Amino acid sequence: MDHSEALQLMATERYLLDEFPPEIRDQFEEHFFGCPECAIDVRMAAAFIEHSKKTLSTPAIVPMPAVPVKSGWFAWLRPAFVVPAFAILLAVIGYQALVVHPALSNTIAELTKPRVLESAYLSSGTARGDSQTVVTAPAGQPFVLFVDIPADNRFSSYSAELLSPAGTKVWALTIPAEAVESAKDSLAIRVAPANNQSGEYVLVVRGMGAGATEGPELARYLFNLQLR
Amino acid sequence: MQFFAFDGPYLERLRAGDYRTQEHFVSYFSELMRLKLHSRLRSEQAIEDVRQETFARVFATLRSGAGIREPERLGAFVNSTCNNVLLESYRSSSRNTPLEEEDSERLPDQAVDALNTLIHKQAAENVRRVIDELPERDRRLLKEVFLEERDKDLVCHDFGVDRNYLRVLLHRAKQNFRSMYLKTVTQREQAGGE
Repeated sequence: MDHSEALQLMATERYLLDEFPPEIRDQFEEHFFGCPECAIDVRMAAAFIEHSKKTLSTPAIVPMPAVPVKSGWFAWLRPAFVVPAFAILLAVIGYQALVVHPALSNTIAELTKPRVLESAYLSSGTARGDSQTVVTAPAGQPFVLFVDIPADNRFSSYSAELLSPAGTKVWALTIPAEAVESAKDSLAIRVAPANNQSGEYVLVVRGMGAGATEGPELARYLFNLQLR
Repeated sequence: MQFFAFDGPYLERLRAGDYRTQEHFVSYFSELMRLKLHSRLRSEQAIEDVRQETFARVFATLRSGAGIREPERLGAFVNSTCNNVLLESYRSSSRNTPLEEEDSERLPDQAVDALNTLIHKQAAENVRRVIDELPERDRRLLKEVFLEERDKDLVCHDFGVDRNYLRVLLHRAKQNFRSMYLKTVTQREQAGGE
């Protein structure tokens, strides 16, 4: 066997794949022992086969698919969520500690501090236009209205509803019948202004039967709020 | 794996007992003999015995000044000597003529040195790269043929290919490995020269 014949036959591959009959195998061996080029070819192929056994015996390295995040309660604990959540929480705590809490403390301190409140007496007569009660109060500060509510044992409670100058309801208050009866002369209602709007307000008082959501109007008190 | 030309000066150095030339000679033909003997002998010890006996006879002939006159016939002479030793080994496995103590000591050993380890590792890495670039189907084909040593005809049938496909697959893989290896050797030589 000469070199061109060996190349044509792919003799190296056939030899290592054990495809040659014994006499051709012997001829090729005789050739490659004396042909450095074929000898190198055989050695390269043999080395490839030898090393490939080791490589092929280990699993191929494939890119790991992204592991889906398990849904459930503990999914909240993953850093992508916990870190920003913790940062937001710290910001909220800081805001409360530095801004909200001092403001609330100031407000509480203001509320607990004794002071003289503006007040006015509303009688049912004022609702009839005899004279209009004027309430003068500092803007943003509460004031007290003394209201003369006519007690009536038909009602288990009363409701007081404050209407703004525009006629919209500012607030409503349920007053137990006992409170009206024990007040005797007049009932004091502390009013915290919901808005800083001067003008004519109306307080409407209704009598409420047991289980009723609305009752007859008993009195209507008109007053003029002047904010300073 | 070294590339070398067998010529007149090489043969003369071999006859003169030049250690480096002997070392190359033993290394080069040991690999070829192992490839040859692996398909004929089962035991590693039997392969080793035949290899050593072959070298003993070849060196004895070289020193006697008889036999080899043409350097290009050196490989054929080693092969024919190996065939003779192998035949004797077939006839009587217990009749292997032991090497003379003197010859045994003078043969370069096959100890694995640091450079060989490096070359071996580099070759393994190159093979891994070649195999990683193969399609999964070809990887499995090679695995079943070389690692699992299944019958090649059955493997080809299972994969729906013929024997020529397997041959060409091995040929291409070998070529890729060879070009990577040559590149590595060239780079190492350049790095060593700097």
